[in-house]
Amino acid sequence: MYLIEKSKVMTIADELAKEYELYGPVVDKAAGQVFFDRVEGSGDISLMAEIPALPPKATVFPQIESIMKYKYDRETKNAVIEPVFSEAKKALFGLRPCDLAGIICLDRFFIGQEFVDDVYLEHRKRMFIVTNTCVVPFKQCFCVCTDSGPDADEGYDLNLTEAGEFYLVESGSEKGAAMIEKLGLAKAGDEYRKIKKDVVDKSISLFEDLTTDNKAWISRVMNRITTGFIKDDVWEYVGKQCFECGACTFVCPSCSCFNIEDHNRFDKSTDRLRTWDSCSFEGYTNMAGDHNPRKPVEDRRNKRFFCKLSYSQSKKYLRPGCVGCGRCQWVCPGDIGLPNVVTYIRREITE
Amino acid sequence: MCENDKKVVTIPEVATIVEIKDEIQDVKTFYLKFDNPDIDKNFKIKSGQFVMLTVFGAGESAISLPPSPENDRFHLSVKRVGKVTDALHKLEVGDKVGIRGPFGNGFPFEELKGKNLIYVAGGIGLIPLRSSIVHALQHREDFGRIIVLLGARTPADLMYQYNIEEWLKIEGFECYVTVDQATPDWKGETGFVHYLIEKANVPVENSVAFVCGPPIMFNSVIGELMKRGMKDDAILSTLERHMKCGIGKCQHCSIGRTLVCTDGPVYSFKQIKTLGEQI
Amino acid sequence: MDYKSGVCTFCGTGCGNFLKVKDGAVHGVYSMRNHPVSRGRLCVRGWHIHELLMTDQRISSPMIRVDGSLKEVSYDEAVDFMFEKMSKYKEGAAKEVGFLASPRSSNEDIFLFTKLARTVFKTNNITLDSESGHRKSLDVLYKGTGMAGMTGSIAAVSKAKFILVVGSDVTKMNPIIGSEIHKAEMAGAKVVTISSRVSQIARLSTLHLQVNPGSKKVLLAALAKALVAEGHHDMEWLSKKTSGSKEFLESINSLNLTEAENLTGIAYNTIAAVAKDIAGSESAMAFWSTGISGLDQDTVSFIYNLFLLAGKIGGENCGMNPLTGIANLQGGYDMGAAPDLLTGFQSIDDASVVNKFKDAWGVDINSVPGRDIYNLLGDPASGLKALVVADHDEGIIRYKKEIEGLEFVAYIGTYLNPFMDIADVVIPVAGSIENDGTYTNTGRRVQLSRKRVDTFNNVYPGWKLYSSMAAKASMKWDYSSSEDVFKEIASLTPSYSGITYSKLEENFGIQWPCNDRFPAGCESLDAPMNGGVYNFAPVSSEFSVPAAKADYPILLITGQGQHFWHQNNIMKNTYIPRREYRATLLLYPNGYVEICKADADALKVRDKWTVKISSQHGSMNVDVKISEDVKKGTAYIPYFIREMITEFLMEHTQDLQRGEDAIIPIRIEGV
Repeated sequence: MYLIEKSKVMTIADELAKEYELYGPVVDKAAGQVFFDRVEGSGDISLMAEIPALPPKATVFPQIESIMKYKYDRETKNAVIEPVFSEAKKALFGLRPCDLAGIICLDRFFIGQEFVDDVYLEHRKRMFIVTNTCVVPFKQCFCVCTDSGPDADEGYDLNLTEAGEFYLVESGSEKGAAMIEKLGLAKAGDEYRKIKKDVVDKSISLFEDLTTDNKAWISRVMNRITTGFIKDDVWEYVGKQCFECGACTFVCPSCSCFNIEDHNRFDKSTDRLRTWDSCSFEGYTNMAGDHNPRKPVEDRRNKRFFCKLSYSQSKKYLRPGCVGCGRCQWVCPGDIGLPNVVTYIRREITE
Repeated sequence: MCENDKKVVTIPEVATIVEIKDEIQDVKTFYLKFDNPDIDKNFKIKSGQFVMLTVFGAGESAISLPPSPENDRFHLSVKRVGKVTDALHKLEVGDKVGIRGPFGNGFPFEELKGKNLIYVAGGIGLIPLRSSIVHALQHREDFGRIIVLLGARTPADLMYQYNIEEWLKIEGFECYVTVDQATPDWKGETGFVHYLIEKANVPVENSVAFVCGPPIMFNSVIGELMKRGMKDDAILSTLERHMKCGIGKCQHCSIGRTLVCTDGPVYSFKQIKTLGEQI
Repeated sequence: MDYKSGVCTFCGTGCGNFLKVKDGAVHGVYSMRNHPVSRGRLCVRGWHIHELLMTDQRISSPMIRVDGSLKEVSYDEAVDFMFEKMSKYKEGAAKEVGFLASPRSSNEDIFLFTKLARTVFKTNNITLDSESGHRKSLDVLYKGTGMAGMTGSIAAVSKAKFILVVGSDVTKMNPIIGSEIHKAEMAGAKVVTISSRVSQIARLSTLHLQVNPGSKKVLLAALAKALVAEGHHDMEWLSKKTSGSKEFLESINSLNLTEAENLTGIAYNTIAAVAKDIAGSESAMAFWSTGISGLDQDTVSFIYNLFLLAGKIGGENCGMNPLTGIANLQGGYDMGAAPDLLTGFQSIDDASVVNKFKDAWGVDINSVPGRDIYNLLGDPASGLKALVVADHDEGIIRYKKEIEGLEFVAYIGTYLNPFMDIADVVIPVAGSIENDGTYTNTGRRVQLSRKRVDTFNNVYPGWKLYSSMAAKASMKWDYSSSEDVFKEIASLTPSYSGITYSKLEENFGIQWPCNDRFPAGCESLDAPMNGGVYNFAPVSSEFSVPAAKADYPILLITGQGQHFWHQNNIMKNTYIPRREYRATLLLYPNGYVEICKADADALKVRDKWTVKISSQHGSMNVDVKISEDVKKGTAYIPYFIREMITEFLMEHTQDLQRGEDAIIPIRIEGV
């Protein structure tokens, strides 16, 4: 563990900016919204801003990106195909632990399965991640229920924790250790371990009682969802409120479903685009021909929560699919963000 | 998995259409040859697998593979049902397409040596099964009885008629064909395909059944087989789903806890029962 | 930062959004958490607006038709060609020339379009949308309260205690407003939906009154009568604050409440309970959709009169809320895109208004009202010869033959469109984020959308294009930006006079009227706009409902439904919204008719079987979709979707005049 003065913490970002494109929490003052986006310099970053509206998964899994370009001339029968991979080196400065947990889920999904997704890998292998422990929870956070906060314990290169006049800096990788050495940070004494534990415990105590009570319920609900012992009318109640907008998927840090489209350009070349998609949509499973195996909206809601909370998905991610960020709750036009659905299912279980 | 381990599974290989054959209504067979001679020589598939076919300018579709893994020209039989297949049907000999794959688990042929093989195919369900039927015929001595039961709505809906004519003549290869609605000059059986199971006296001991066809046929055939005593893990089928990547990433093909592109498309009926969602 | 604030320009809700703009192109969209209307939400269309904004399916160059096919030319050549062809209509312009404006264009573009029509081409035949569905609602509200727009505020919906939704598949057409109504319901409000078909909002309501087809007006009249019969109205308030109550009560006198029960299929006790709720709630709002297949004027008048009777006009958290389906339909009327209006709903009959415009524009304008374009197209004796169209979809289906028969058609638009097949000259104009522009949502909120990327292939922004056209007629229009145009709009329009671009940017838009009286804009109506009292709307006393006939025993209703939206010429340029639109179509490629299982069994047909629908005017084949959303004896076919419906529905122009309450008696047979 190392120390850096609070006033000097942005020098880490400056050092990173020399080699990487810098990303961090930015506040749009006019609209009062926090984004996790690319910045020109560390001065634009508001490290202690609240959880960003946009999940940082967009840095490693963009909303829309070209993965291949081709041009086929029918006259000459000539086909030219060219893969498109990201070359940018990105430093994510000030990532919250829940969002890091989301990226870890995506890592395990895109890289750790039978096939390696090269497009994702090229984004990911050039990244430097600096997380920032949440010393105070934000509205609608419930990471304590999903084992993803308020502090990160793996997957980062550097981890920052605000403690009094200092930031505690921990290294989680070789890259992180090298950066600490480069900056010549002072080593922290052993007493700082306890100081960090106190900071994290205090943060946990500030969560609403309701959230910490929910912890036991989420694991019971995970059990029910995996085994399928949930009454149909719960899903009908949830499905009734679904506006099929896809927002929950787009804002979720661990959701990774995508769509591929060939986008024809004005100059007769074609881009193969990969875009965000959502299992909430009716057309998601619609097959050419006349069969849609997941047509009713209740079935789609069931599928989504199965994906987030069942054991089989957790096996893929090696942790629960939900990271407790609470974003799905505030973008939902209905009232069926994950915490609310857990509450409905919990009501059914106790009856 | 393809024997020549390609490093990048998201970029297609270019292939040229060398011949086009009209099959039944809205179905054409496209014979393809890869432009890259190494790929062309080393392209190995297993029965039951599929490829992702790119039609330039239109998009990509998952298409099942009908050729046998050995000694058979590389071809795809495709029905015109949507945007991509529509664009495909407008192509001519000499046009180029893109191929990614093969993907999927394929039929477990090594485990089936010595068994009786029963194929039940409805309509264009014969396309994915053709690969394994031809392959089995190429290794006739490795298997017990081979029974092929084919059904279609009308005689004009029977796929691979030239193949069927040959199969009907082969000794020791039991092939039955039926249609739902006969035409005046139809000489074969009439009726739904599951009635042929009784007629062919399908064995259930030491046997494996391959079933592929429309959902209605599926249920009645499986019902009939299980009534005769066939076990649910001896009945295999290939499932279809909308696919975008073919490599287990886009999740469009998920059914319950599996992904059809990597855990399938071949599933036993025992697995299908526990998937947790409608197929 | 790459994310720039903006406004979604699909439907009339006008949600706030952020667009990711990088390297001069749009790469993503995100919702706006603190926007007073959308509060962090977007619908499936809003979440994919970047797909539309990055499409290359654009009109890339002006074109003129030479020997049957379109040839690319320069802007100068195209405009010259247009003026040359239209020069022969100089004398008879008032009869022979028509201008079809687009509810998708920004306020500035629509304003200049109408200014062009009136000052350069000397015609008042200007129309904004088909059947002027929204116009009827505006007329009722204007005559009743002096406000030509929604009287409530969308930000106040969650506080209303009673909400009435008449028809309208709100959660699909204006999803975020549907979400607000749903949240109100969860917070304890009573939500009552009146429709013949079960829609999502019906399922989310506290009470769904599934009326017999075509009887919404009867039910509303019955509600009014029950309200009076049970004594829930405040006679003192009515006599002091309103005028015309006596006449209204006389109109509904002839309604027999028992007969109303039969006609609507709703029991009197239910009607009385709902009437009591409307009158007794602290606040009440009503929603209905306008535009294509909206309600007819009589029905809107009844909604208004009912709420006025209950004392719920002008109170806090109250509102008469017509819902516009397209981004700038309200703004279009504010800009005067009508044969008899100038901006701000000022009438062309008012000499002082006409003089004000003449002075400002420095040119004479015709003060005789023109005619509605669809009216002209439908009248073989109209004498219409030339049509200038901006970015339009609908007319192409309904009056394709008539438009093809005109002598000259000019099309001004952004995206490729079937109108181009008919047009003699095609002129591209910049799209929504390629040019500054203001859009007025259904809640009177004027919002500014800034230019974020360069124009596609250097096409002209609206102000430049229309100025160049005016220049051909030797008129100097002195605009160098959209803001210049807006300044002129504000100077001529009392309800917009206090609005400036910088004020719009400081807030999340401003709700008009914004002037000396309302310096920060006006959230909800709290008193009659012109002083005085609220006026009851005149209504008919005809309470009949079309009935099934012996040989046409089933009643066919139409509606807008899931994602179906103006033939989707815009949707077709997206990927995911287009896929969702097609999701149902792929299952029923021949189109579908929804009937309940009982009817299907009686006809001996099953789901996806083809049936023949016959009516007095024609027939068509579609597939059966079994659904319990419709009652026995009712059939439902979504309206106006080119791929689904053949010419069948178009033949029933008379019936379809009734908009959403159009009922066509039909017979269904298996084939």
